[in-house]
Amino acid sequence: MTTMIEISNIDVAYGKVPVLSDVSLTVAKGEIVTLIGANGAGKTTLFRALTGVLPKSRGSIVLDGKDITRMKPDRVAREGLAVVPEGRRLFGPMSVLDNLMLGSFLRLTGQGKGAVNEDLDMVFDLFPRLAERREQLARTLSGGEQQMVAISRALMARPKVILMDEPSIGLAPIIVREVFDVIRKLKESGITILLIEQNARMALKVADRAYVMEIGRITAEGDAGDLRQSDIIRKLYLAA
Amino acid sequence: MFDTYMKDMNRLVWLPVSAGVLALPLLLGDGYYLNVLNFIALYSMIAIGLCLLIGYCGQLSISHSAFFAIGAYSSAILSLRFGFHPFVAILISQLISAVLALGIGSVVLRLKGHYLAIATLSFTIIVEVIIVEAAWVTGGLQGLSGIPPLSLGSMELDTDLGVYYVVWPVLLLLLLFALNLIDSRFGRVIKGIRENEDVMRLFGVGVYGYKVKVFVLSSVYASIAGSLYAHFIGFVSPSAASLSFAIDIIMVLAFGGFNLIWGAMLGAAAITYLTEYLTDFADFKRVAFGVALVVVMIIFPSGLLPGLQRWLKAGRRAPTGAQR
Repeated sequence: MTTMIEISNIDVAYGKVPVLSDVSLTVAKGEIVTLIGANGAGKTTLFRALTGVLPKSRGSIVLDGKDITRMKPDRVAREGLAVVPEGRRLFGPMSVLDNLMLGSFLRLTGQGKGAVNEDLDMVFDLFPRLAERREQLARTLSGGEQQMVAISRALMARPKVILMDEPSIGLAPIIVREVFDVIRKLKESGITILLIEQNARMALKVADRAYVMEIGRITAEGDAGDLRQSDIIRKLYLAA
Repeated sequence: MFDTYMKDMNRLVWLPVSAGVLALPLLLGDGYYLNVLNFIALYSMIAIGLCLLIGYCGQLSISHSAFFAIGAYSSAILSLRFGFHPFVAILISQLISAVLALGIGSVVLRLKGHYLAIATLSFTIIVEVIIVEAAWVTGGLQGLSGIPPLSLGSMELDTDLGVYYVVWPVLLLLLLFALNLIDSRFGRVIKGIRENEDVMRLFGVGVYGYKVKVFVLSSVYASIAGSLYAHFIGFVSPSAASLSFAIDIIMVLAFGGFNLIWGAMLGAAAITYLTEYLTDFADFKRVAFGVALVVVMIIFPSGLLPGLQRWLKAGRRAPTGAQR
């Protein structure tokens, strides 16, 4: 199996305050890997380090064979990483269609309009509700629908890997289930996903492999099913 | 809602508006009203340019009087001292403004928000000082007079009517260009930058480059107005570069609505008309302006045109309702 993301021993600090130390993580092609951990464990810091927003003081990140450790966010995007940011971060006063088209910014310059229209069809196939609401302003959608737009926007980039940061945050339980159904669907179509989640129960159900992060370190890793059974995870994260 | 609704409306409305604008002098005849309308056109050009930068790209700049003055002085100097034909002088002036805007924009657009506003404000002050101090080329405080009017062959366009048929067609073209731009891919990207530039970066957009492009374009809009103004009035003075003028232009946008091209035009019309109407009050005019601005901001926080539109719609939709 080819490795899509390979994070090797990175350290990240905010100024002098170390946040991540010696974090390593890999995602293989077609795999869903989840990173779970409590609030303040450093999950979002890893997101920001991976996308090129934060500098790494040590270690390296390789995306599909290319070293992206020192790249700026727009360069990292060009290498094929698309994001579903925490809290969705849609372009609120713009239409659903405009949001999706902005996701395909690089495709439009590279492949042209024809390819992007095909991507649009694919996305509307996946989320018929968005097709109905294409002209609606993104901020007028419900939370669940907005999450669909955020995921679709990432899909429109036709990325090698999608990085999701807490897609379940702030959503009603029934909508959370819907979001995870979508992630499962994406998995079937062979898309590679790194899923950062606080909702360990749902994340472990959908993922192939999992990493557990505590205070800036990876403290456990393994097959998602195994981790679900392990005592420590059950006690700490599943409250069962 | 508003964005998508405007998309088709923009082009549909532009045609009859243009026809109306070009026919208007037939109704009004040559004279005072045309003079006012010419000023409205010049103000509108600056306002539309600024609207692209502030309203659509979200970058607050207080440098548009500077570029107005650069356009005006370049054109004046080129035609007065170097004998260029006014139309040629205007074209070269735009090149000068674009290069300057590129230089300044590349530096100040590394800043954001209030810092950007202050940096552009400093630039405006610098330009004003240079114009006053470099008297050997700019005429200093006395300004430059005797700037040749626009001419076609041997026909000098020195009447209000002649100027009208230059500035309004130019404005309509600049308007159409701006309307098309905001509905284009480029427009979508700059609106995205206004909403959240960090997310735009995560999708591969070179945000800085886009900002610089909009800044240059927007500055050239102001500069075109400046050049036309110089040949229209025949005289330029440092007041063209003043800070209060820069603030007047931003006030135009506040009146019309920051993120609506048509609103920028309406704002320009409202402010120009008010200026004329309040001439009797001399310096108290500024007080009246201030009051009017506060009233508009309270009743229509998104600007006069969007506000009126919403107000009319609400009136139509709720005939039985208790709302006003």
